[in-house]
Amino acid sequence: MSETSRRNVIAVAGAGAAVGAAALMGGGAASAASRPHRISAQEPLVAYVEDHRSDRVTLMIGDDEVVVRDRDLVTRLLAAMGGK
Amino acid sequence: MSSHREAPEISKDPVADGTDVYAFRSPANPGNVVLIANFIPLQKPDSGPNFFEFGDDVLYEIHVSNKGTAQADISYQFKFKTKVRNDRTFLYNTGPISDIDDETWNRPQSYTVKRVKGNDTTTLGSNLPCPPVNVGKRSTPDYAKLAGQAVHQLPRGRKVFAGQRADAFWVDLGSIFDLGALRPFNEAHLIPMGAMDGINSVQSFNVHTIAIEVPIDELTRDGSTPSDPLASNSTIGVWATASRRTSRVFNKKTGTYRDFGKWRQVSRLGNPLFNEVVVPMAEKDLWNSREPSGDRKYQKHVYEPELAGLLPVLYPGVFPNLAAYDKPRADLHAILLTGIPEGVVPGFQNYTGPVPSDMLRLNVAIPPSEKPNPLGLVGGDPAGFPNGRRLEDNVTTIEIRAVAGLTIPLVDPSFTPDDAAAAVEDGSEYTNSPLLGEFPYLGLPGGGYQTEPGTTQAS
Repeated sequence: MSETSRRNVIAVAGAGAAVGAAALMGGGAASAASRPHRISAQEPLVAYVEDHRSDRVTLMIGDDEVVVRDRDLVTRLLAAMGGK
Repeated sequence: MSSHREAPEISKDPVADGTDVYAFRSPANPGNVVLIANFIPLQKPDSGPNFFEFGDDVLYEIHVSNKGTAQADISYQFKFKTKVRNDRTFLYNTGPISDIDDETWNRPQSYTVKRVKGNDTTTLGSNLPCPPVNVGKRSTPDYAKLAGQAVHQLPRGRKVFAGQRADAFWVDLGSIFDLGALRPFNEAHLIPMGAMDGINSVQSFNVHTIAIEVPIDELTRDGSTPSDPLASNSTIGVWATASRRTSRVFNKKTGTYRDFGKWRQVSRLGNPLFNEVVVPMAEKDLWNSREPSGDRKYQKHVYEPELAGLLPVLYPGVFPNLAAYDKPRADLHAILLTGIPEGVVPGFQNYTGPVPSDMLRLNVAIPPSEKPNPLGLVGGDPAGFPNGRRLEDNVTTIEIRAVAGLTIPLVDPSFTPDDAAAAVEDGSEYTNSPLLGEFPYLGLPGGGYQTEPGTTQAS
C-alpha cells in the first residue's frame, strides 16, 4: 500500500464496503450501493487482475496506482466477463 | 551497439530506447560536468512525413549516485509536450522554419526539466523548446541556428538541450553481429574471409539527445568541487532511464492511446555494451527494468563473460592465454561494476563502493585532457572511459580489448595477455557528423533532403 494515495485508499475502502454490502443485501441494494460516493474517483480507471486465483486487483487512475485485496471484487470482475 | 535495440522488448519501443550515456567534465567550462543521454536509435534523416520526436508518454531521466549505494541520489527528469498548430494539414512544416518559434513548424515540442534530490523536487526550466528535426535545405535552411536556439541557460550556470543530433557512436554492426566477425581479422576467423577495413554502420543516423551541463558541486555527495582524484567524494555514478506508465489503452474514439498507472522503468543504460553483450538475451528486458543497486545478480556474467569464451573459439589459436585463464574476471568486475579502486592505476581511482552496479563512473577531480586519447584510461588518458565517457572515446575497441584480456594484469600480474588483445578492433572509424567544441558537443543531425544512403550531412 506504499504506493497508495490517501484519496485512493478512501475510495477503494468505500468500494470494498459497497461490494460487501451488495453481496449481503441482494440486487436491489446493489443498485443503491453502486451510486458514486462523493469521494469516488471521477475519471477513467483501469483494473488489472494479474492472477485470477488471487484476491488482488490493481486499479490505475492517472499516474496513481493502488493494489486492492478483495477476493469478492476479483470474483465479480471475472464473472462480468461471463466465462469468455 | 552500445545500447541501440539491445533487448527484445525495448527494440520494439524506440521512443523509450536509450542508446548511449556520456559523462565528462566540460572542456569549455571545467568546473561543470556534462551529462548526455541519447534515445530513439538509428533515425534515418529522410523519414517524413512523421519525423522523430521524444515521447510525451515517456519519462526520461539521468541519475547520479554519489553516496556509494548505487541508488539515485540526484535525478534530472525530462517530460515532453507536443502540440499541433494546424490540424488541417499533413505537413510537419508549412514553410521554412527559420527560428525555433516559427509558426511554420506545425508540430513543436517543448519540455520541463526537474531536479530531484531526496524529497526535494526543483523545476529547473519549463516550456523549453526543442528544435525541429533537420528536415532539409528548404524546410530548415540554417539548422545550426535552430539547434543553437534550443540551448537553454538554466539557474546556477546550468545549460540544457533536448532534440535531434547526429549519433556520436560508431561501430561495425554488420560485422560484429555476423558471428563476432572483425573485418581486419577476417582471415583468422573460424569462417575465414579476406581482411578488410571496418565499416561504420552508424554514421548516417541521428538520435534524440538530452544533454545537461551542471556545476560539479551540484553532483558530489558533500557539495564540494574535489581536486584530489583519490578522495572518496570525487567519484559519481551516472546512468539514464526511460519509463512508461503501467497500462496503455487504445481509445477508438480518438485513435490515440491513453496511459494509466505509475511510471515503470523500461530502459536503462550506464556502461556502453553492458546489457548488449554481457546480459543474456532472456534477461535483457528485465535488466532494463531494474535498478543498478540490484546488479549483484548479474555479476556472474561479468566474472565469466560469454564473449571472452567465444573469442578463442571464433579465432582459433589467436587467444591461447585467454582460453587458458580460468579465474573470475576481477578486472571487468572493477571496470564495469564497482569502479577501479585506488592502487590499481597509479594516481587514479573511480571506485564507488562495493555494491556491484552498472554505472558510468566519473572521477570529477580529474581535469579534461588537452589531447584526449580515444582509448581513454587504457591509452594513458585518465579523463576518458572508463572514467566517465566522452563522445570521442572508442568504447568498442576499449571493451573488446578488455574482454580479450588486456586489462587482466591490472588485477592479476601473473597473466600475460595474448598479442592480439592489444590489437583487436572492429576497424571502424569515426566518420559521423563532426563533433562540436561547445555544448551540447554532439554533431548536427543529418538533414533529410541531404541524405544519401550511407552518408550524412548537416547542411
